Amino acid sequence: MSTTLPLFRRAFLDSWRSTTAWAAALAGATFLYLPLYPSIGGSTEMQGMIDSLPAEMTKALNYDQIATGPGYTQATLFGLLGFLLMTIASVGWGAAAVGGDEESGQLELTLAHGVTRVQVVLERALSLFLRVVLLAALVFAMVRLLNDSAHLAIRPDNLFGAAVLFAGLALLSGTTALCAGAMSGRRTYGLAAGAAVGVLGYTFNAVGRQSEDVGWLLNLSPYHWAYGNSPVVNGADWAAAGWIWGISAALVAVAAFSVDRRDVGT
Amino acid sequence: MDQAISAQSLTKKFGRREVLHGVDFAVEAGSVFGVIGPNGAGKTTTMRCLLDIIRPTSGQVRVLGKDPRAGGPELRRRIGYLPGELFLEGRVTGRTLLAHYQAISGPVPPGRIEDLAERLGLDLDRHTRKLSKGNKQKLGLVQAFMHDPELLVLDEPTSGLDPLVQQEFHAMVREAQHNGQTIFLSSHVLSEVQQTADTVAILRDGRIIAVESVSGLREGAVRRVRFTAIGITAHDAGALLAGVPGVGHVEVLESGGSITLTATLEGAIQPLVRALGTLELTDLVLAEPDLEESVLKMYSSPADAGPDDTEQREAVR
Repeated sequence: MSTTLPLFRRAFLDSWRSTTAWAAALAGATFLYLPLYPSIGGSTEMQGMIDSLPAEMTKALNYDQIATGPGYTQATLFGLLGFLLMTIASVGWGAAAVGGDEESGQLELTLAHGVTRVQVVLERALSLFLRVVLLAALVFAMVRLLNDSAHLAIRPDNLFGAAVLFAGLALLSGTTALCAGAMSGRRTYGLAAGAAVGVLGYTFNAVGRQSEDVGWLLNLSPYHWAYGNSPVVNGADWAAAGWIWGISAALVAVAAFSVDRRDVGT
Repeated sequence: MDQAISAQSLTKKFGRREVLHGVDFAVEAGSVFGVIGPNGAGKTTTMRCLLDIIRPTSGQVRVLGKDPRAGGPELRRRIGYLPGELFLEGRVTGRTLLAHYQAISGPVPPGRIEDLAERLGLDLDRHTRKLSKGNKQKLGLVQAFMHDPELLVLDEPTSGLDPLVQQEFHAMVREAQHNGQTIFLSSHVLSEVQQTADTVAILRDGRIIAVESVSGLREGAVRRVRFTAIGITAHDAGALLAGVPGVGHVEVLESGGSITLTATLEGAIQPLVRALGTLELTDLVLAEPDLEESVLKMYSSPADAGPDDTEQREAVR
């Protein structure tokens, strides 16, 4: 009866299978990439091979920086596979949080109880937030664990900043999905909007890095806001982190406002 | 507080489509109020307005004396709601799900969930998404009843339940009423409502077309009477019955010294019993009135009456 945050608890605890699966996938990605650094990123033959690749390609993949341990970690884990896994997880959770729940008909029964709509959105957003932060913390811990054995030489404070941006970037896609789902009452719209932020952000960064003429695309890319200065190498751009997390919070507020003002389940 | 629910000129538009065109009704506190009407009549929309799941376009609604929107969570804790279509998809057991709903509704007495589950024959340890429709419905009923709310809003509560469980549900409704709770329920057939409801409202195409007390319907209802008697001719029996007020459609069959007479009776029973007292009866059946028929008379305008009455009836069912 007097349970605190009942909706958060349910959203968080009932999804433990999904959270565990994504954690396993991220752990897999980390253990796949990082131990290979001494033989790939750090080796001279590999560097020669990368030099022989078209410059556009290395820029698009951020492989221009993989000669150092931090750069390698930035490009492969935070910038590519980890980014992909985190974004998919976050978008899936965000789209399901309100829009998916409404579409499946279950939100109606929840709202018929002693809760407010704003509370439903906020507690479920909190659950999304905590799951994303947990995954980012896991990645942080695993990189620290592998730092010595894989000769990565990453500064812990830089790694921490990168993890904050890593979580923030995934959360931005997730809260976009939550917001679009909450506004439309449809899971699919949430998925589409969340995926669009992730995919366009990545694409604008890859294309924007090609030349000065299209450099303006970088300003539209959350991926570039977060990773433009390679946080694992150079430390986080904390202003960018503030923006990314702030926009996420604003999207949650918009979602709460929107659900509070409309008919549900129609 | 005399009225648990009141609605005045309630309208609801979805875009340009208006589904409620000025619904008016009041539910007395402590009564069982049934809304019947065909699918799409607006029953679910009306109920959702009471729970603030959708907001009326115009008109006034009061639930337990409060506006549903202004009443907020405190008001909804005093209500138990069963949605018309119940979706329970989580990978959780019934027990876990009910514990969650318990956390967001009014206080539930210890052991109440187990009691209700046992009465309805529901296994609380099975995963909800593996439950059959009937068992999901039982779970929905448990969450609506468990906190003994002042008001129960039940949308098609017996759908998917087998007859024995329906009987148990009717007993639960009577007990709730006995405890002073108010019950507002809907159905598309009257026969489900007439056993428990005091009053029925008939909703059709977004309008309430009649509100009747069930006892009133019973009084105005047409009963069928059939008896077999010996020692009387068909002609005399016919003449005797014709003199009883409210009797019609008399048909007599004579065979081997006994007669079998069928007729309809509208209104009081006493005069018929008195007339029958003079006969030597070997069999007598006075059937329970078919309220469905009385209601159908209201449904169909005079123009519809006549040869296609049966079709009309099928359509309404």
